[in-house]
Amino acid sequence: MKFKIPIFDVKNLSFSVRGQKILSHISLEIFSGEYVAIIGPNGGGKTTLIRMLLGLECPSEGSIKLFGKKLSNFKSWNKIGYVPQRASLVDANFPATVLDIVNMGRTAQRNFFSFLNKEDKVAVHDAMVKMDILDLQEKMVGTLSGGQRQRVMIARALASKPEILILDEPNTGVDIVSQRNFYALLAKLNKEEKITIVFITHDIGVIADDIGRLFTINQKAIVCNNPKEALSCEEMSALYGIEAHLIHNHKHEH
Amino acid sequence: MLEMLEYEFMQRALIAGMLIALLASISGTFVVLKRYSMISETLAHSALVGVAVGLVAGFNPLWIAVLVAILSAWLIEYLRSSFSLYSDAILAILLSGSLAIAVIIVSLGGAFNNSLFSYLFGSILAVSNEDVFTILFFGTLALALLLVFAKELYFIAYDEEVAKTSGIKVKFLNFLLVTVVAIIIALSIRIVGSLLIGALMVIPTVAALQYRVGFLKTMFLSVAFALLSVISGMTLSFYFSLPSGATIVLCVLSLFIISLVVNKK
Repeated sequence: MKFKIPIFDVKNLSFSVRGQKILSHISLEIFSGEYVAIIGPNGGGKTTLIRMLLGLECPSEGSIKLFGKKLSNFKSWNKIGYVPQRASLVDANFPATVLDIVNMGRTAQRNFFSFLNKEDKVAVHDAMVKMDILDLQEKMVGTLSGGQRQRVMIARALASKPEILILDEPNTGVDIVSQRNFYALLAKLNKEEKITIVFITHDIGVIADDIGRLFTINQKAIVCNNPKEALSCEEMSALYGIEAHLIHNHKHEH
Repeated sequence: MLEMLEYEFMQRALIAGMLIALLASISGTFVVLKRYSMISETLAHSALVGVAVGLVAGFNPLWIAVLVAILSAWLIEYLRSSFSLYSDAILAILLSGSLAIAVIIVSLGGAFNNSLFSYLFGSILAVSNEDVFTILFFGTLALALLLVFAKELYFIAYDEEVAKTSGIKVKFLNFLLVTVVAIIIALSIRIVGSLLIGALMVIPTVAALQYRVGFLKTMFLSVAFALLSVISGMTLSFYFSLPSGATIVLCVLSLFIISLVVNKK
């Protein structure tokens, strides 16, 4: 695996705000085709790490390479699909149909003067089919349920045909059934579409069977290559700072 | 209705007014969606500094107003992106600061007269041929820029960070939007007046938003409301000798109230 160029190559990354250390000497690599989950307590730096990987925050020290290029020289942003934390909490008054939102996924690729061409339309259509929202395309996003909005946001990210999908706890305001469907969908995108997935979540038990590697972030990073075995109660307790009891929730049990 | 079109000054005012309605409502859509409505008020007051300089120094006030409004827009965007200041506080500071500077310049220059009054509240009588050409020239440029970058600006209004991670030049386009808004506002103060232009930029979009339709339809509705307000406002202003800016604003306000009531859940 080491001979491949990683999608993300992070070396010795630190981040401080007003003298307070948020992340300290993080080094990790994410390779094409992986399904990586990132867990850790709130305020532990998970979102900050993702924001640095996407160029939204500048690290205090360390280096980030995307697809082998330094972050500052990286231009192929269409290879990366990002679904932020607040994705499903769309402003109900924002004038956007589902189609308007998914079309945004093609905006950066289009030339200034051009409208959607055939390739754009096909990509948008495919993304909506994958997310099963084709029948919702004329609906206003503000009228959808949390689960439907979540699928719309992922369809927008998929419309640019990304090689990697980064999702930051996109489950806020989403019911449990929709969440389960959503996890199944992510696993499918990873296995069938070969899309690399980086997923910040708290529901590690539910997706333990799907993920390949687990990063736990609480200022420092611990990389687990076998997530089903790796996390003991002691490790979870140390990570979250409270007494933890693990409930195994593998698929074959239900 | 047609009687007023026999007057040359009304023809000029209507052409200028309709172009401004188009520009204000299209740019207003992006400004409102970015939660940046107050920028129109602030830039209108900055434009007044340009008007004051123009009146006192004897230059074309409209050209100087465009220039000062652009500089003020850049300052706002720079302060917003480079310092941890609240956006609305920056707008409030620059609004009162600009007004203070304008009043001092005008009072030192002894130009505190009807001429300034017409820039505060708008005057269709005062629209000259030169004004119409200035509005046409800068207005076409501003409109072209808005239409070319419409889809990017819409994405940024929806989610600035996601737009950035998609490879859109967010910082450049934010500067471009405030520049275009500054130009449009400076051009509008002749017709609507610096104290009232904010209304023509913001209210048509807020009225259109009440219909809860997609982006393009919202923009079309906003343009329609702005055009209707300017035409009916100018007509009423002509026949009842009312100040044009205030009449236009009352018309757009009526449309807003109707939209609000019709779409009440």
